[in-house]
Amino acid sequence: MSSPAPAVASPVPPKSAAPLLETEIPLVNGPAVPYVEIETLRAREFIPQAKEALSSLLREQMEGKLLRPVFNWAGRNSLFPLHWGLACCAIEFAAAFGARWDAERFGVVPRSSPRQCDLLIVNGTVTWKVAHKLITLYEQMPEPKWVIAMGNCATGGGPFRTAYSVVPGVDKLVPVDIYIAGCPPRPEALLDGILQLEELIRRRGE
Amino acid sequence: MATDDLATQLAPRAGANILAVEPFQGLTARVRFRPEGALDVFRAVHDDLGYDHLSMVGAIDWVDHREVFYIVWSDVTKQYLGLSADLTGDAPHIESATPVWPSANWHEREAWELVGVAFDHHPDMRHLLMPDDYAFHPLLRSFKLHEPEELEVKSRSV
Repeated sequence: MSSPAPAVASPVPPKSAAPLLETEIPLVNGPAVPYVEIETLRAREFIPQAKEALSSLLREQMEGKLLRPVFNWAGRNSLFPLHWGLACCAIEFAAAFGARWDAERFGVVPRSSPRQCDLLIVNGTVTWKVAHKLITLYEQMPEPKWVIAMGNCATGGGPFRTAYSVVPGVDKLVPVDIYIAGCPPRPEALLDGILQLEELIRRRGE
Repeated sequence: MATDDLATQLAPRAGANILAVEPFQGLTARVRFRPEGALDVFRAVHDDLGYDHLSMVGAIDWVDHREVFYIVWSDVTKQYLGLSADLTGDAPHIESATPVWPSANWHEREAWELVGVAFDHHPDMRHLLMPDDYAFHPLLRSFKLHEPEELEVKSRSV
């Protein structure tokens, strides 16, 4: 039983004998062709090139001027700090999310997993024993991410700067964006630091 | 006298290793013993005197020697007893108390890493409070406070 070979439609149309331009676009001495038809033919060549150039230009422009402010606006109004308490600053950290200071009105909600966070608030004394855990938590957070060093201990070691077991400043471990002074800083100071970080994010990429 | 009774009770099993039984503030007494016979003293105190709970182990760096002290608690007589031994030499060491009181485990790890007293036959001698590659015994009197940057370079484990 022999079936006839299926007819394969050739994707390439058969070439005409004469080149396209010579037949379609009329030359000076050729036959008269309407002007609209000439412009249409020229546009068919121009449009793919223009589309390519325009899209690359738009991509750059949109990232810089359009998308970046949108992402910055969204990011700075939904900062999720890591719920990680180290020392007495963590008490003030907790108070900032209570009813009186209510950091959630700025969109700041502490999360318990570093995968869901974009803000690491180092609130307390960092010892060398816990240093590599802090770095692990920081590396587990998705980009973009920011770090606030809350209190004197995280900023520069505080009263334990010369101790044998204390990291003299958490910026020796991770890049810090905002330093908050105080021992411990009040919740207002933490909120001020968060608002300054939001200002930092607003200017990001400009 | 309580101290005499204690010395009498300790004599059969650890008499040769007891240096003195003396009154001490806050404790029933303090038993000073030779570090060579530490395990005998621990067993005698635990079995014969009935001190069934080791409350703490610590070490002190006197400049010319180091002292290891134990505070044990009897749940029967509700009393504390102190044990102490003087360790001399460059590498002070004493037998671990973990066969008698298992709660000595972490206390001896802490005493080792902070004061540098070695505990022989300890089941799990690792750093407790310091990073694993910490190179100092920081509560020794010979330990000088470092500049933060210098200490960072030497003790950084990350």
